[in-house]
Amino acid sequence: MAEVLFFLAAIGVVGGAIGVVVLRNPFYTVLALVVHLLSLAALFLTLNAEFIAAAQVVVYAGAVMVLYVFVVAYVGGGEAAVGSGQASELRVLAVLFAGALFVCLCIATLGSGLQAIGTQGAEVGPGYGTPQQIGDLLLNRFLLPFELASYLLLLAAVGAVVLASRRRGVGEGAEEPGISVAQLLRPRGTGTMAEAVSGLPAAQATGDRDEREAREGGEERDANDAEDRPRVPPGSPERDGS
Amino acid sequence: MSLAVVGYAEPWWIQLVKGLVIGALALQLVPVVLVCERKMLGRFQGRYGPNRIGIFGVLQPIADIVKLISKQDAVPYNAVGLIYALAPIISIFTAVAAFAIIPFSNTVDILGTQVGLYGVDPSIGLLYLFAFSAVAFYGLMLGGWASGSKYSFLGAMRAAAQLISYEIAMGLSVLGVLMMSSTLSLTGIVEAQQGLWYVVPQLVGFLIFLVSAFAETNRAPFDLPEADAELVQGYNTEYGGSRFASYYLAEYLNIIVVSGIAVTVFMGGWLLPFGIDPPTWVDPFVVLAKIGFFAFLFIWVRATLPRLRYDQLMSFGWKVLIPLATLNALVTAIVVAVT
Repeated sequence: MAEVLFFLAAIGVVGGAIGVVVLRNPFYTVLALVVHLLSLAALFLTLNAEFIAAAQVVVYAGAVMVLYVFVVAYVGGGEAAVGSGQASELRVLAVLFAGALFVCLCIATLGSGLQAIGTQGAEVGPGYGTPQQIGDLLLNRFLLPFELASYLLLLAAVGAVVLASRRRGVGEGAEEPGISVAQLLRPRGTGTMAEAVSGLPAAQATGDRDEREAREGGEERDANDAEDRPRVPPGSPERDGS
Repeated sequence: MSLAVVGYAEPWWIQLVKGLVIGALALQLVPVVLVCERKMLGRFQGRYGPNRIGIFGVLQPIADIVKLISKQDAVPYNAVGLIYALAPIISIFTAVAAFAIIPFSNTVDILGTQVGLYGVDPSIGLLYLFAFSAVAFYGLMLGGWASGSKYSFLGAMRAAAQLISYEIAMGLSVLGVLMMSSTLSLTGIVEAQQGLWYVVPQLVGFLIFLVSAFAETNRAPFDLPEADAELVQGYNTEYGGSRFASYYLAEYLNIIVVSGIAVTVFMGGWLLPFGIDPPTWVDPFVVLAKIGFFAFLFIWVRATLPRLRYDQLMSFGWKVLIPLATLNALVTAIVVAVT
């Protein structure tokens, strides 16, 4: 039973990985990656790591890959095949790095891993890989790294929100919430969507900040919302206080 | 083998019988819910509902299924053939797999063998459910994408966005229960509700779970993916015949699964209130009756509430439910830590 599951999952893992590299249509590539990750979860299951398997499916197949599928389905058409028009130097480099990685893996496998062949693998105690045990490890023994990693993720999320909100749109008051230090430090001509669309403001703004702040405070638009505010005509003053 | 160590494995013939029983039960419950829904919707709307086939129209779903299965499986010209065929299978597979963890009773003694009246009872419990609902996303998404039609695609995008948005609220809402029961296993959660069902101390979590359950199953008032006024039929617009029947079956099975999870996690599973302790053979019927109550609630809400707008749906999920669920988890954590 376990052997059959292992080989099915292994075929899925290797096949999915090959599919990611070989397939030309971006949508199929993403689907191959999904197959790869799901098969990987099945492999974790055969290693008694059921919590890791579930987390693998929920986080990778259920969240990360969902985002990939979204983006590719929206913007990635079947016409623009990936990897067609790339420079030949990149290809040479890719082959070199792949070869180096292969040698590394061979050394690692032949050096240590093959000793375990013919044994039943390491002994696992009762409850190994259960959520209780993993939670115990994470919140007692590895509490500090765990918390640090979560702060790192939080920082990344906040940073993503800040970056995304700065480029929310070109409408009046659509960006730069109020006064902030970062705004003063930022060089002119970097970052905002209005600058990208209408060029750098020639003159100082004439001060519609109060109205802008009133609008900013009340609403925080969803990423899904269509931008339906009136567009700023080119050349109009957009940014003040620089 | 390693799977036996984890505790999934009962004797192979029990697993086989369980698989057959779960599959059959899933296929039996869905037509019952279907005919109940049509009859009740009729009553809610002041008409009879189906009443021609069988006594009081109870054989109506049989006729529907025969009709759907005997139809031709047309594939649109634009469709991506393989994925178009695969998507309904993913949907129905994940629905049945999720159905497998609903416990109908604890282990019972059948012919000298200890058999648990559930498909599987993994230690990851509820995470198993969330894992399969994560995969269920691909059933909708691929179906809508592979149909090669704008309505299908937009419906699939809506369904997917809604699914992943409300999954967060759903996951957070059961967190309080998990802290109180300190187990993820569903039988363990039911056992921990002896005396007091979690619906009482976790009322907020229960309500959040219920609302996100409506959204997760794409039911009214959150049935935007198939808002027929805007999107024809949503992600399954181009589907017909038995493939459409698969989607339909998966949708109603998801209602039963979500009801079953609500029953198990919040309403005491097979336990009865006021200390009534019936013999073990009553347990599955208790669970079924409670599931029936929730299925009725789903139908009732569909007949009562109008559909939300899409931005209302999203802002409600992200700005109301998720903060509320986080707060609920936080308060529960403090209370559990103090007591």
